[in-house]
Amino acid sequence: MSERPVVSFRDVHLSFDRPILRGVSFDLQAGQTKVVLGGSGSGKTTILRLILGLLKPESGSVKVDGTEVTGLSEEELRDVRLKVGMVFQEGALFDSLTVGENVGYRLNEDAALGPDEVEARVREMLGYVGLAPFYDHRPSQLSGGQRRRVAVARALVARPQLMLYDEPTTGLDPITATTITDLIVKVRDLDGVSSILVTHQLRDAFNVARTSVRREGETVVNTVADDLRAADGTGFLMLREGRVHFEGTPYELQASSDEYLREFLS
Amino acid sequence: MAPRTRALVADLGRRFTYLLKDKVRAVQDYVLLSTRALLSLASGRRYVPEIVVQMDSLGVQSLSIVVLTGMFTGMVLALQSAASLDVFGARPYVGRLVCVSMVRELGPVLTALMVTGRVGSGMAAELGSMVVTQQIDALRVLGTDPVRKLVAPRLLAGVVMVPILTVISDALGIFGGGLISVFSLKLNWTYYWRSVAEALVLNDLAMGLSKPIVFGFILTSVGCYMGLTTTGGTQGVGVATTRSVVVASVLILASDFFMTKLLLILFPVV
Repeated sequence: MSERPVVSFRDVHLSFDRPILRGVSFDLQAGQTKVVLGGSGSGKTTILRLILGLLKPESGSVKVDGTEVTGLSEEELRDVRLKVGMVFQEGALFDSLTVGENVGYRLNEDAALGPDEVEARVREMLGYVGLAPFYDHRPSQLSGGQRRRVAVARALVARPQLMLYDEPTTGLDPITATTITDLIVKVRDLDGVSSILVTHQLRDAFNVARTSVRREGETVVNTVADDLRAADGTGFLMLREGRVHFEGTPYELQASSDEYLREFLS
Repeated sequence: MAPRTRALVADLGRRFTYLLKDKVRAVQDYVLLSTRALLSLASGRRYVPEIVVQMDSLGVQSLSIVVLTGMFTGMVLALQSAASLDVFGARPYVGRLVCVSMVRELGPVLTALMVTGRVGSGMAAELGSMVVTQQIDALRVLGTDPVRKLVAPRLLAGVVMVPILTVISDALGIFGGGLISVFSLKLNWTYYWRSVAEALVLNDLAMGLSKPIVFGFILTSVGCYMGLTTTGGTQGVGVATTRSVVVASVLILASDFFMTKLLLILFPVV
């Protein structure tokens, strides 16, 4: 991916029966994670839907890897979507398919790989998220956390340049939520995939910011930074009533004296 | 007019306009969805396994209810028509009446209504659930056109399988009428079948086979449309399911009237 932003929003407006986004602008640089925070109905998920072309803005520009997506047809959006992996709120796994078929769905649709290659890639991805033995299971047989991990595997299988996570830890217990945030960090640091994480779980957002992983030989080393100033790979974006209320580093967010931010963080 | 009354009339006018626009938009969306589904059947990738699954679900698995409905309808028809024909001493014509009624009207309409109740509602519920659990969005993100993958196979299954189910229903209705004619009305079995054969002409078959094609299209397209436009979570799925059965049933009965009118002009009864 080039030096240009992976995602670029410029003065994006969108309304349904009320204004959802009002002049939202931000950039996501390659290899970075942007955590989008905000209360319910503040327009967090809408940002992800705009990136994927599932919604069109009323005005403004949305670029993904330099391509303006606002005017693209469904067919043209296919090429953009190939670069993006999306983890939906509840996983959005296909109930009628097995875990393996869910993960391999995009590869089977593209038909670029043979069945054996698809199976090998799917098993590799399931191993990556720690669910290798669940290849033949149905989504209904999985726990909430496992479903989210399968969703991550499904999004990663086509090796995207950008990952979008929509409230991936909502409704999960803290331990399971940590396995998901660890996975998000792993994808960012080991695979160099840019990501946008939409959440209102502050604990998970700061976990992603503080944690980093690196490979040392055969082992993967996990580091948790004590000082938020060191967490420079993650940016925070706070939405309030459809507007960008804050954009900056985790440290700047924590150190802010803004009343709304203080209230949100408390 | 008093200001308060004027405001009330203006408010009613606004509400009516909104409602009208909403309905017109719904019809427009329905037509667009159906057209896109038909066009995707005509060209591009076809999901053959999905088509087979839908044909099985709509056709094979509906067989039992269609068999029972057809059979009992034919039997009732024989009893009822015998009671009326006896007044004119025309009981031997029971076979003719059962046959024409089943093939022209009751077979196609009752089969379509039964399949609507069983399959149309199921389609709305399944697609509605996929909408509220974001599976439709996931399909689009993963590069699949939901209309091509989900709607087109269901539409094709409806158009192919409802006529086949109707033929089975017609046959069992006539057979059921025969059983009642012999065992209850004491008519001759051979005579019954001869009167059936004499009554059945090519016009009846044209009418009896063209209607189910349209009915199959209506019940599947309405079920898919209602499912894909589901809003409001799981409660919305329930609403979409009920609405799909009501709308499809009314459309089937209304289109039956207009088709009968048209087909009687094209294939007049001689």
